Amino acid sequence: MSAPPDLIEAMRGIAAGDRRALETVYRATSAKLFGICLRIAGDRGEAEDALQDVYVSLWTSAARYDPARASPLGWLAAFARNRAIDRLRRRRRVDETAPMEAAVAVADAAPLADAVLSAGQDRARIHHCLSELDEPQRGAIRTAFFEGVTYAELAARQDVPLGTVKSWVRRGLARLKACLEA
Amino acid sequence: MTEPDLLAAELALGLLDGADLLAARGRLATDPAFVAQVADWEGKLAPLFDEIGPVEADPALWARIAGALDAAPPAGSEVLALRRAVRRWQWTAALSAAAALVIAVLTGPVLLTPPPAAGPAPMVASMELPATQLRLGVTWMPDRGELMVSAAGMAADGVHDHELWVVPTNGKPLSLGVVVAGAARRVQLPAALAAQLGAGATVALSVEAIGGSVSGIPGPVVASAKLSST
Repeated sequence: MSAPPDLIEAMRGIAAGDRRALETVYRATSAKLFGICLRIAGDRGEAEDALQDVYVSLWTSAARYDPARASPLGWLAAFARNRAIDRLRRRRRVDETAPMEAAVAVADAAPLADAVLSAGQDRARIHHCLSELDEPQRGAIRTAFFEGVTYAELAARQDVPLGTVKSWVRRGLARLKACLEA
Repeated sequence: MTEPDLLAAELALGLLDGADLLAARGRLATDPAFVAQVADWEGKLAPLFDEIGPVEADPALWARIAGALDAAPPAGSEVLALRRAVRRWQWTAALSAAAALVIAVLTGPVLLTPPPAAGPAPMVASMELPATQLRLGVTWMPDRGELMVSAAGMAADGVHDHELWVVPTNGKPLSLGVVVAGAARRVQLPAALAAQLGAGATVALSVEAIGGSVSGIPGPVVASAKLSST
């Protein structure tokens, strides 16, 4: 096994226009980011288009990455999630019926920690803090994160008024923050 | 929990759409403290990505990406593609100016009235929408800090929104907002955004999902133009 590539250095390389640096980042991160695209996009073909879009936009956007603010993989994960959501929303027909499964469907997935994104303590903390939330709050926040849905889509899926979903999420976020910073 | 912090969390999660998304994105373009709050929430939520296991993509995908890059602008310059489109626009604009001159010469002397000198003059940009007869009119009134966007004739397709951007000479495109199809709207711009607008500033129009770009990066750019004094 070779040592893991220095992703921060490679991100700098991309910003400077080094194609090999992009390939290095691709080799080191594409499986992780593909998992994220697949989760948001739902099907493999669309997820591959999204992943291509992620690295093509990374080629011109890597300069936005600030190593003082986030780990490269954490930043790339959020970047991939946002690009995949953009694509999904650009494609989604408004008249498509929303999937009928409720937001709680993803509520209790067991963490498959790969210990790459954060120190163990932080990771334990957010999971602990999420588990402290009551179910409608936790389910709504998790669904928003893992499926990239808006308040309006959450409300439609759960068949509850928009205001109800907003208050679940907002109360949940306030409690989450208080717990994370306790 | 403060209101901006809540908004930052909602933006990081991607919960917002419509006017709320616009307001949050406007803030992101102009308020560094808010940028830090959004980044902070992204960091707080990042450990959740651990729950998504890695999946190997098609081994041929890297070749596809490399191929797409050969057709893309060089790194570090996401505005280049926009500038290229702008150059094309300038070329057609120059052609029509030449045509207008020919008409002026043919129809005899014209009376040229210089605009009144009081206050900074309004600036306009006009963008042709591809494959339509429609134009999007953008008027910037520096003295009032107001932007007027006229999208008369444009129809919402229920799937996409058009988003208007200003492209600073040395920086990433900043959102000016989502265009309201079929209407003329006037918006007051925050000072930091207003500072990016002026004669020669490039405005560009992109196609986005309803509500506008979530990532803050423009989708496909369909038209662009430079602001110039009337």
